[in-house]
Amino acid sequence: MRRGTVFALSVLALVAFGLAAWAGGERVLRITFAWPTYIDPAVGSDFSSSSAFVNLYDTLVYPDVNGDPQPHVATHWEVSEDGTVWTFYLRDDVYFHDGTPLTAEDVKFSMDRITTIGEGYGFLFVDRVEGTEVVDDYTVRFYLKEPFGPFLTTLYRLYIVNKDLVEANIKRPGPYGEWGDYGKEFLLTHDAGSGPYMVKEFRVEEELVMVKNPNYWLPIPEEAPDEVRFIGTTEPATIRTMMARRELEISDQWQPQEAWKALDAMEGVDITSFFPGTSFYLMLHTRKPPTDDIHFRRAMAWAFDYETVVRDIFPGSIQSRGPVAQSLPGHDPTVFQFHRDLDKAREELRKSKYYDQLDQIEVEFHWIAEVPDEEKVALLFMANMAEIGINVKVVKVPWMSVVEEMANMKTSPNIVSIFVAPHYPEAGSILESRYHSSSAPTWEQNEWLLDETFDKMLEDALATVDREERFRKYAELQHYIMDLCPSLFLFDQVEKHAYQAAYIDWPAARGEVIPVMGYNMAARFIKVYPEKREALLKGG
Amino acid sequence: MFKSPTWQRRLEGFRRGWYKFSRNPVSVVGLFFVLLVSFLAAFAPYIAPYPEHAGRFVNFREASQPPSLKHPFGTDVFGRDILSRIFFGFRYSLMMGVVVLSLVVPPGVILGLIAGYYRGTWIETLIMRITDIFLAVPPLILALAVCSVLTPSVFNAMMAISLMWWPWYTRLVYGLASSLKHEFFVQAAEVTGASKFHILFREILPNCVSSIFTKMSLDMGWVILIGSALSFVGLGAQPPTPDLGTMVADGAKYLPDQWWIAVFPALAIMITVLGFNLLGDGFRDLFALEEI
Repeated sequence: MRRGTVFALSVLALVAFGLAAWAGGERVLRITFAWPTYIDPAVGSDFSSSSAFVNLYDTLVYPDVNGDPQPHVATHWEVSEDGTVWTFYLRDDVYFHDGTPLTAEDVKFSMDRITTIGEGYGFLFVDRVEGTEVVDDYTVRFYLKEPFGPFLTTLYRLYIVNKDLVEANIKRPGPYGEWGDYGKEFLLTHDAGSGPYMVKEFRVEEELVMVKNPNYWLPIPEEAPDEVRFIGTTEPATIRTMMARRELEISDQWQPQEAWKALDAMEGVDITSFFPGTSFYLMLHTRKPPTDDIHFRRAMAWAFDYETVVRDIFPGSIQSRGPVAQSLPGHDPTVFQFHRDLDKAREELRKSKYYDQLDQIEVEFHWIAEVPDEEKVALLFMANMAEIGINVKVVKVPWMSVVEEMANMKTSPNIVSIFVAPHYPEAGSILESRYHSSSAPTWEQNEWLLDETFDKMLEDALATVDREERFRKYAELQHYIMDLCPSLFLFDQVEKHAYQAAYIDWPAARGEVIPVMGYNMAARFIKVYPEKREALLKGG
Repeated sequence: MFKSPTWQRRLEGFRRGWYKFSRNPVSVVGLFFVLLVSFLAAFAPYIAPYPEHAGRFVNFREASQPPSLKHPFGTDVFGRDILSRIFFGFRYSLMMGVVVLSLVVPPGVILGLIAGYYRGTWIETLIMRITDIFLAVPPLILALAVCSVLTPSVFNAMMAISLMWWPWYTRLVYGLASSLKHEFFVQAAEVTGASKFHILFREILPNCVSSIFTKMSLDMGWVILIGSALSFVGLGAQPPTPDLGTMVADGAKYLPDQWWIAVFPALAIMITVLGFNLLGDGFRDLFALEEI
């Protein structure tokens, strides 16, 4: 009996404690994402991973709302006349989460690590950075192989990891010789950063929990969340329920049209939208029949109904003009744009070498299972292509499997529909990640273009330090791609998020949009007001 | 009396059967559902209001319309008429049931007969232990495993279900056959030197038919349900195939606001499965009474 009483009392106490903590107003920010997320800065590169890096790590420079680099860990920098030597002067008051100071050694280690591993954002630096030199504790120097114009903006993706911590957690032997596994296993579930938030718990399949870094070197407003949860679901019914119960502050961007309407109708919930420079592509495999035939690809480009997509499936978006989003610096407005014209489509199809065997050919179209609206595009494509006699097989594939199959030329399907965002706010970024040979085995390219001329032209453009000249070269490249027709350029995405407008203050929703993927999810700029949340719950 | 022709006796037997069957009104309801579903499936292209909506068709202008006179069951998120797609969906469900049963019943029954007749020999051990292995794995799990290894399609879904279904018939017939083998008529046939083939298929099998038949009509519903479950998780029919399970899965995302997208196909599955189950119950009553 007595034991029972004690137990009951302790349960009561626990419940009371829980309630008190809740009523006291924990500042929690919960955001849903398409999963999985990789919090190792040398591995991840998608939306959820990038959003996690911004919160866990610091960079030398930080983008402003125009995408221009501003001092962050680096207070100032110099560049040599030939554009190949970049020297950065660091602050001396930045500390990692375990208390060790951030020094030039850590910057060098981070650069060496990401270029050795070569995954994630590694392609921004591999083959580009020749070496990193530690000049003194707080001065670091990068030597580039060739002058690279947008180098500063790529440094948004050099997340500085704690050298001592990673070294202490290296597993040997590993694939990187003396560096063993380079701490990959450790960084899969832990952070080694100095950022405004730190990993508290990471259940890889479900949820990433981060807490505020009390010793962050920049002031974090009191209203910024104490705890940030990245939740791995995009399931519309779940999102709706969580939003209605105020258990979710910002939704993912992948909700279907019907769900946005329902979310918008909820009290205190608003939908915000901005053009982040992301475009939606139908990536055509240019090395696999029948999409290896340019006339076949052009026929599809003429037959597709772009207008229905921007009007009915993704309202608010605009039809793309070429491979670069229209909001991205460096976009060329004179690039050719396809529209639906069945006569032209049939004419191109007749020129195709597959014209005589259309009935035996099936084009395989893979769409991402986590984004229900993509099925509408897929079925529209199927219906459009049926009109000119092309058979399309539509397959729903989970994101994880898509990433896997796109790593290999043989397993990549004829068509994949994917959103791709620039990694740094310039046309060169999207041109590189979409069509450069080095990105062919990643999820950002299904085309397997492997075009040496294009690679050379792009490398030349990127080597140009003068901005105006660089942009002129970007324009040429956009025309070049358009002639090859390796993709269908559907639309520039409007990124929508439902958020609890009644109790959070989110700069991006106010129009202060940073045009670099992930940076609008920097929790330190988002303010959460638990008392307003309470009021909303009581009112409801 | 040799005057009355065979067909007259058969008619009389049928009348008696129908009387016994119809004494249970629930069985008649089952029969009605089955006939209705079969009729709609057979004539879907002629009676569906928008037959083209079952194929490669989209019309986003009319997407997610609630039920109305124009679309009695509403439209889905692609603007397709749900009623028409349900009619065509019945085709895939029935096809699934018929194909699977016609694939599993013959081998299942034959193996059961052999194992039952040779009870106590290594033949029985071999057949029944293999059967046990298949029975040990939950049916849906096995089908899921097979389907996810193969590329998802209606054909592969049917193969996967067939693979897990035959042991049930082997088990059933094995039980019947092993008791029937001790009956006098079987022993009499053995004594007169009848061939094994004759004994198995002319003496034992006819006495198992009623149970097999009952099980088949009960299973029809289950097979359709498992087929729908496979489609629901994306391992069965692929779009734009109007499969009922897929329709429910797609519609479930839009609950509860656009309830009609999921609810009507779900009801359609329910009616089909319920119909076959009630019919199966009716058959069981019918044969059970005859045996008395």
